[in-house]
Amino acid sequence: MISMNGEFIAFFLLSVMAIAGAVFMINFTRVVHMILALAFTFLGIAGIFVTLNAEFLAVVQVLIYTGAVSILMLFGIMLTRHRDETRDGGRPWHAFLCFLGVGGFFALLMRIIYGSPFNGETAKTETFSVSGLGESVFKQYVIPFEVTSILLLVALVGAIILAKKERS
Amino acid sequence: MEKYLLDYNWTVMAPELIIAGAAALLSIIDLLMKEKQDKRVLASLGFVAVLGALYFTVSRFGQQPYEILGDTYRIDDFGLVFKTLLLTGTALVLAVSLQEAKRKEITAQGEYYYLLLTALLGGMILTSSADLITLFVGLELLSISSYILAGIRKRRTDSNEAAWKYVVLGGVSSAFILYGMSFVYGLAGTTNLYTAQERMAEAMGNGMESFVYLSLFLMLFGFGFKVASAPFHMWVPDVYQGAPTPVTTFLAVVSKTAAFALMIRVILGGYLFLFNSRTAEGLELLTTALLVLAGLSMVIGNTVALRQFNNKRLMAYSSIAHAGYTLVPLATLGPMLFESTVYYLTAYLLMTLGAFTVIGIVERNAGTGDISAFAGLSRRSPLTAAAMTIFLISLSGIPVTAGFFGKFYILINAVATQHFWIAAIMLATTVVSYFYYFGIVRMMYFRPPVLEGKVKVPPASALVIAVAMIGTVVLGITPQWALEQLGEVNWAAALSPLNGGAPPAQ
Repeated sequence: MISMNGEFIAFFLLSVMAIAGAVFMINFTRVVHMILALAFTFLGIAGIFVTLNAEFLAVVQVLIYTGAVSILMLFGIMLTRHRDETRDGGRPWHAFLCFLGVGGFFALLMRIIYGSPFNGETAKTETFSVSGLGESVFKQYVIPFEVTSILLLVALVGAIILAKKERS
Repeated sequence: MEKYLLDYNWTVMAPELIIAGAAALLSIIDLLMKEKQDKRVLASLGFVAVLGALYFTVSRFGQQPYEILGDTYRIDDFGLVFKTLLLTGTALVLAVSLQEAKRKEITAQGEYYYLLLTALLGGMILTSSADLITLFVGLELLSISSYILAGIRKRRTDSNEAAWKYVVLGGVSSAFILYGMSFVYGLAGTTNLYTAQERMAEAMGNGMESFVYLSLFLMLFGFGFKVASAPFHMWVPDVYQGAPTPVTTFLAVVSKTAAFALMIRVILGGYLFLFNSRTAEGLELLTTALLVLAGLSMVIGNTVALRQFNNKRLMAYSSIAHAGYTLVPLATLGPMLFESTVYYLTAYLLMTLGAFTVIGIVERNAGTGDISAFAGLSRRSPLTAAAMTIFLISLSGIPVTAGFFGKFYILINAVATQHFWIAAIMLATTVVSYFYYFGIVRMMYFRPPVLEGKVKVPPASALVIAVAMIGTVVLGITPQWALEQLGEVNWAAALSPLNGGAPPAQ
């Protein structure tokens, strides 16, 4: 039986927030509303990270996803056609098939999660620190880190050459 | 003792460092050049860099495997062989690009060249790592560079459509791979493939087998997309058709080879315990899944290709079929798994490169991507037509070409492991493939030319065609020699961890 302590209540509220945000994001028709719903999902996930003692991850989540990504999307929408609405595709069987696929996958995942024995103790997450993270990124994982910087450069160059207007 | 950055011998990374340096250098030179200037000097620089990297890669053969920072980078013969293929393919694509980029369509010429190099770098990282993080970053570097390259002719709607489809479906497939990898990390608590393998084997015994299979199948989903096998092939025809021809060649040859390297490394490196475990159930499941992928690719690729009238779409379906053939050795775990896969990929690289180069020339000449562009090519350019015939014969797998022996070795794998039904599908679909390959041959030899005059073959393209043709024929005449060379390579090193750079104790 689940005990009703503060952690459970926090988790319950945060997950409702995250799931509701995602559901609204799909169902809203105005793009601006979608972004706001998405921001709520991001915040909910950040909250869940806090309850798991992953404060750094939570801060990063708020800074990058809730802050930067949402704001960037809002700017993108404001600078283009912000009154755009999604129209119904008119393919109900399409939505039904998608639902079937996703539902099936969800059922499978749930079955696997509940069918597997999770014995073993919860690790002590309090000792995981930001300095440990920094050490592993810059010592052990320095090669993928450097490749990621090239990756970001490529993405930037690509965005510019594909979106740039030319004089012709 | 913990080893730090400077304790390692970083010279083993020379090929990657050269390519990364060249990409950076090209982008700076590109900035300094005038806008209207001819950017082909950049291609030559890139070409030299690729040859340099190729030299350092080949000279590394026969030496002990080496790893840096807990297998985030490792150099072993498996990686070297694949890296040689990637570098050769890119060098030839760069040579062909010289001609293509002169046309007005590609406005961002400088970027085009260094994006090819960064895509190559991603592929090289992909072949030489046994750490999930590095593998994924390499995969994304390759993919994102490819998305941009596919859409680089941005004034054409088909190019835009190609890039759009590619980025959406490619993103979905990457997400599947990442999701699978996250389950591996959840089970094993490490991103190192070999350690993960040990711990997953342990987890298997503790009743977590459904999670192991979940991680494996999620990744297989993504790999299916990346190697362009059915039923994950929806993006292939549109992307191959819409991308500029050299980019299509790159996707068909380099991307696919890198994806196969990733697939083999992850499945054999991470899930090797499935093959040793006492319960044969896991192996059975994996083999069946891979064989179904292979069989579907052969059937769908070859039958749908029958109805294609666009050269590049036809080659796209042919490429799907070839992905199916190449999957067979891995699926059946035959006696010559590595050798036959690499032999086939080499043969595929040569014949596909050659065929796409000819298609590019013919397309430019006729101004259409239709098969009818080939009409009467034997009269307008007999040598090109002859070369194309050899490539098509090789693609369809008729002796004595590289394609024939490639298929032959794959068949041996299937038969030796008693998977007769996949061998039957392979033979049947091969016969089906004759129809569409010979459709092009018929066009070239038995149809009157629509256009007048000779077809001009630019020198760089002629060189590429010659190299591809000689390679196809030589591999076809001396398959035993090639196989012996491949047999001497230390494949097993790819499957075992190294301890701090030292080879494992025997």
